[in-house]
Amino acid sequence: MTSNLERDVQPRTPTPPFRAIKSLFIADFLVLTKSTRALLAAVMSPIYVLVISRSSKAQTRLGGSPFLLTLSVTLGLLSLSLVSYTMVVARDRERGVFQRLRITPTPTWTIMASRILMQVVVGEVLTLIVLIVSSQLLHVTLSFIDYPKTMLITLLEALVFLSLAQSLVGLVKSATTISALGSFLYAALLLTGLLGVSGVLGTTFQSFAKWTPVGAIMAVFQAALSQSPWNGHTTLALLACFGYVIVFGFIGVRYFRWEAR
Amino acid sequence: MEAEVTLNNRVILSIVDLVVDFGQTKAVDGVSLEVNQGEIFGLLGPNGAGKTTLLSAIEGLVKPASGRVVVAGLDGAKDRTKINAILGVALQSTSFQAELSISQLVRLYGGLYNIEMNSGAIRSSLESAGLSEESNKRFKQLSGGQQQRLSLLIANIADPLLLLLDEPTAGLDPQSRRKLWGVIEQNRRDGGSILLTTHSMEEAQSVCDRVAIIDHGKIITVDSPKNLIEKHSSDPRVLKVARGQVTLEDVFIGLTGGEIRD
Ligand SMILES: Nc1ncnc2c1ncn2[C@@H]1O[C@H](COP(=O)(O)OP(=O)(O)O)[C@@H](O)[C@H]1O
Ligand SMILES: [Mg+2]
Repeated sequence: MTSNLERDVQPRTPTPPFRAIKSLFIADFLVLTKSTRALLAAVMSPIYVLVISRSSKAQTRLGGSPFLLTLSVTLGLLSLSLVSYTMVVARDRERGVFQRLRITPTPTWTIMASRILMQVVVGEVLTLIVLIVSSQLLHVTLSFIDYPKTMLITLLEALVFLSLAQSLVGLVKSATTISALGSFLYAALLLTGLLGVSGVLGTTFQSFAKWTPVGAIMAVFQAALSQSPWNGHTTLALLACFGYVIVFGFIGVRYFRWEAR
Repeated sequence: MEAEVTLNNRVILSIVDLVVDFGQTKAVDGVSLEVNQGEIFGLLGPNGAGKTTLLSAIEGLVKPASGRVVVAGLDGAKDRTKINAILGVALQSTSFQAELSISQLVRLYGGLYNIEMNSGAIRSSLESAGLSEESNKRFKQLSGGQQQRLSLLIANIADPLLLLLDEPTAGLDPQSRRKLWGVIEQNRRDGGSILLTTHSMEEAQSVCDRVAIIDHGKIITVDSPKNLIEKHSSDPRVLKVARGQVTLEDVFIGLTGGEIRD
């Protein structure tokens, strides 16, 4: 028995990507505000670094205030991308959240675009907080131009770490493995970057560590804040950062699967 | 030329020789079927028969190895976002963000289907689904029946031409089940077509115009519930399992075998 009803409603048309991203972004933001633990971890670790290195003696021992500033930003961004971003993506994939989103009438890239945009915005806000706190606590004197410069490098740094995070969720499916590997990478990258720059593990390690994502981005960061001269190595480090974004971003998109099975 | 939604013939969904495989398993193995406009069509099959996979192929969530899916004249392989705009879907595993309240979910999906919904519109849509008291709750805090009503509300948010419902009444009490049947029938009265999967013979008999029995990825038989019983009532496999007058369940078990799947 079929009815002869003709639809009098106009069939719906696809949703423009910007409209979809707007809705997704609001939802992602609401989810974020409810994931207070991850958010606190991302904000508190950089602030903690700034607070413990308040004294000028500590600052000199730890490599000076600009170094501490870039370190704080790096800590926050690393934790945002390798710990919270990967965890949320892995969890949503296991729950099937992506599957439900994918059958809406909008290109699927908008789902990821919104999340990445969210991470970048949070990263920028975090950097701003770090800048304000460090100008108070560390007495870093920042000229006006240092603010936009820092924000721009934050963008690059966020993209480097997010592309790493994306390749992690692209290559690994299991949420528990992702969570373990994410924390491991967080620690490993931080250590290679830090110990490499300080040189305590010898020159061979240092010359390797200079080129790790953290090593490279911190070199660029410090040079941009005019605390170290911009030289040939800085330019190469900047290129390395772009390379990381392209390579890891490609892997992360190419191998990403929306479903957990 | 741009593909357009065409409703001039009376077929809303047409599936031709569809094959979907996961490695070695052929989850859908050469299925052809048509759903007419205004029809409530049921897919009846044991666990693992390939019902969810068949729906996933229509939704574009899995890519068929071969065959075609055409929805309202649009090609499943080419016009995906256009098809999604006229499909309403409730997945088997309801999969909404656990952190969002249900009114936030309605707002999100409204936006994704390009429907401007202010708080008033959200409130009244929740009210129509009997969920106004629950608007600040999260999905997991709802009862099974409420969860299904929300899934159905979101599936219906853009007034779809074709509704795909995967086991919409699984685990519901009789009251909620009846209520859901009412929503499905209302949908048809509004001009929609429905393709649903079910394990319930009663559901197949009382709401479906036609039923396909599917097993091992293949369609065994398609007809109205009444005709299915008539057609197969002298099949020895069916007679062997019948306990008295032949029922749809006897036909189902006779044709798909008695062993338990999981
Ligand atoms: N993503 C997947 N990967 C591998 N095998 C799958 C996947 N989805 C379903 N299958 C297999 O395909 C077959 C059909 O499954 P499904 O369509 O879920 O059946 P039904 O919905 O009828 O219970 C089963 O054998 C199942 O194990
Ligand atoms: Mg199923």
